[in-house]
Amino acid sequence: MLATTTHVLRIHPEKCTGCLRCELACSYMQTGTFQPAKSVIRVSPFEGHTSYAPYTCTQCAEGWCMTACPVGAITINAAGAKDVLDDTCVGCKLCTIACPYGTMFYDPDTRKAFKCNLCGGAPACAEACPTAAITYEATATADWLGEFARERTARVLAGAR
Amino acid sequence: MTTAIVQAQSRTTTPSPARELPGGYAGKLLRVDLTKKKCWAEPWSADEMRELLGGVGLGAMILYRETATKGGRGNVSWDHPDNRLILATGPMAGLPAWGSSGLTVVTIGAGTNGPTSTQANGFFGTNLKYSGYDAIVIQGQSRDWVYLYINDDAVELRDAKFLVGKDTWATQDALGPQLGLSGHMLSVYSIGPAGENLVRFAAIQGDYGHVASKNGCGAVMGKKKLKAVAIVRGTKSLRAADPRGLVQAADDIGFDLRTDPSAKSLYEYGTLPGVVNLSRLGALPIKNYTTNVPPVDMSQWEAPKLREGFDHRGHQCSACGMHHCHMSVIRKGEHKGTIVDEPEYEGWSGAGWAIGAMSDIDGVAWLNTELDRACLDVNEFGWICGWVMECQEKGYLTEAQVGFRLTWGDIKGAARLIQMISHRQGFGNVLAEGVKRAAEKLGSPAKDCAIYTEKGAAPRGHDHRARWDEMLDTCTSGTGTLESGVPVHPAEIGQPTRINTFDGEAVAKFIAGIRGRRNFEDSLGMCIFTTRTRLENLCRVLNAATGWDVTVPDTVRFGRRTAAILRAASLRCGLTPDLERPSTRYGSTPVDGPAKGQAVGEQWEKMVDTWYREVGYDRKTGKPLPATLKALGLDWLAKDLWGKRASRR
Repeated sequence: MLATTTHVLRIHPEKCTGCLRCELACSYMQTGTFQPAKSVIRVSPFEGHTSYAPYTCTQCAEGWCMTACPVGAITINAAGAKDVLDDTCVGCKLCTIACPYGTMFYDPDTRKAFKCNLCGGAPACAEACPTAAITYEATATADWLGEFARERTARVLAGAR
Repeated sequence: MTTAIVQAQSRTTTPSPARELPGGYAGKLLRVDLTKKKCWAEPWSADEMRELLGGVGLGAMILYRETATKGGRGNVSWDHPDNRLILATGPMAGLPAWGSSGLTVVTIGAGTNGPTSTQANGFFGTNLKYSGYDAIVIQGQSRDWVYLYINDDAVELRDAKFLVGKDTWATQDALGPQLGLSGHMLSVYSIGPAGENLVRFAAIQGDYGHVASKNGCGAVMGKKKLKAVAIVRGTKSLRAADPRGLVQAADDIGFDLRTDPSAKSLYEYGTLPGVVNLSRLGALPIKNYTTNVPPVDMSQWEAPKLREGFDHRGHQCSACGMHHCHMSVIRKGEHKGTIVDEPEYEGWSGAGWAIGAMSDIDGVAWLNTELDRACLDVNEFGWICGWVMECQEKGYLTEAQVGFRLTWGDIKGAARLIQMISHRQGFGNVLAEGVKRAAEKLGSPAKDCAIYTEKGAAPRGHDHRARWDEMLDTCTSGTGTLESGVPVHPAEIGQPTRINTFDGEAVAKFIAGIRGRRNFEDSLGMCIFTTRTRLENLCRVLNAATGWDVTVPDTVRFGRRTAAILRAASLRCGLTPDLERPSTRYGSTPVDGPAKGQAVGEQWEKMVDTWYREVGYDRKTGKPLPATLKALGLDWLAKDLWGKRASRR
């Protein structure tokens, strides 16, 4: 676990209304057009369409995608995000298999892998979210998901909602 | 640092659209012939897009062109195979402006047997646009029940036997798993039992709680034996002429909605504050217009209270930041744990106040969703159910006639009535014909208690005896519901910001003066609540998307052109000016409350005369005058309506 201060995308699922504005903004940054199918943040429904939550790359400390890439096409950019170098990527999809979170994507049109690169330090999804369900925050650790999971598990086990 | 945009462009391999295709458009209409079981894509030109925009603008033109009979003098009826069911979206759908997934249904409706324009939202517009279509135009009639499946270029009419009899929510529940899709990956608009059984006020419901409800559009879908339209979120891209400008204009509209006094409460609570606010004006319809004095403590109906009363979950439409649409989970009572759509104001009114259910808030919320599930228009149901309750109370209808005793505020009884109507069982078969036809069948004195327009439309969920602008609009409209109201920033188009609401002449001038704006809004593919900003902003967002130079006067002109086309189609359907009046009860004088003694009936004729003069239509025949049409650039329509006389008048 990294102990340095960094910026991460923090998800507040209880605030998400499922409007998918983040997907629109993301696809615009990723492709220059509005095409949510190419968004690297995805909103999923829960509990019979009554709850939604966005989900994207947590920029995990392990960096499984980087480890798996046989051609070194995944680097860490200035914002601290794992980023795919299009010119180097050969489209072998190993990273999509290696990623345990399902946040590496493959674009059949370009035959390249693609993922969240934190928009180079100004994530469009956080900017676009009307309810602040996605925020871009400074945090002491890159692995906020672990804490989130621990805290939620503790709450669920304690019987609270 | 890698900039995302550069990467993005290197990945853009979607073939660039034809050079002339304006941004925001998919460029194709999806045509479906149910008789021949054929589906095909039809391109439409950039000129047509500029002229018709989308939504009701596009729908009205298709309806006018394609539903005529007798050499253009008559019109096919709602149940004819040649009737068109147009499910249109608009240029803003799929783009980041708030609430931009608008669906406009245009058809010859079963209520008035005349044109309809009725809106819903959810994710219909985005899913359709990303699939590559701006609208679906459905014609013909299927022999067996089918549903339309759209997944990019794969468009199929599929067997819907397994869906028949299912309510609208159950239909979506069944289609999702079958197609292996969840959430907004699949948008489903469908009809429930009421649509299948051709109830004349059946609606089309979609995406759990969004309803295109007016004028029996659900019956048209039922007649065509089309159970549902299921659209997978497509994979195609939408371009904007000026994407940064678009995002900026969309954000400015969002700011306006959050902060402007005319939109702020909508932003925070949707239409919930309507109950208390309208009760203060005497415009909350209580017990079928028999009183305007709420007999209960109104503090329980304050918006924050209503929202606190349920376990609330946001259920916003595409790209929307409003705190408007919600799912609620009922916390207590008989329906504890049931997931319902948070009722709109219209739901609290139609499934609550109009039928005398004024305290059982959980019950009303449940009943409202039962109506959505059956696919009945909540407004007309309110007038029907309230009318039956009043008639039973007064002895105009017997228990034997109805089949059971129905008293004010009886939620269970109302739910029973929903089933009777939507399956056309017993007396439900009479009521399924809509409030006007049912009232006429029974005759006076029951008829005199019923709320409807002589055209056969039912008003929205207000007491229009305290909102004359909406009564006049409902009666003269070419859509079977409001066509010009509600006013938003009227000063922007040269109208007064405030008028005496009980001065018939001022009301008529005002409603004629704001005419056009609404039809423009309903052509954009946005929601009527997220267009509650200045027209200037709507022009900005539209121009940034398309690359056009639409101005505020253009928007009004556009809307009035659409209204004139709808009016011409209405006349062709036989909806003549003599039908433009309220029923006895609808046009009566309130006996108590804030609008007590304000007699709309006394000023009615003068109001209609003034309205005709102001909009430039002929009072006798109802036709838009040749000069009016020519000023709108509709010379061809002047020729259609007036023949050779067009040039002489």
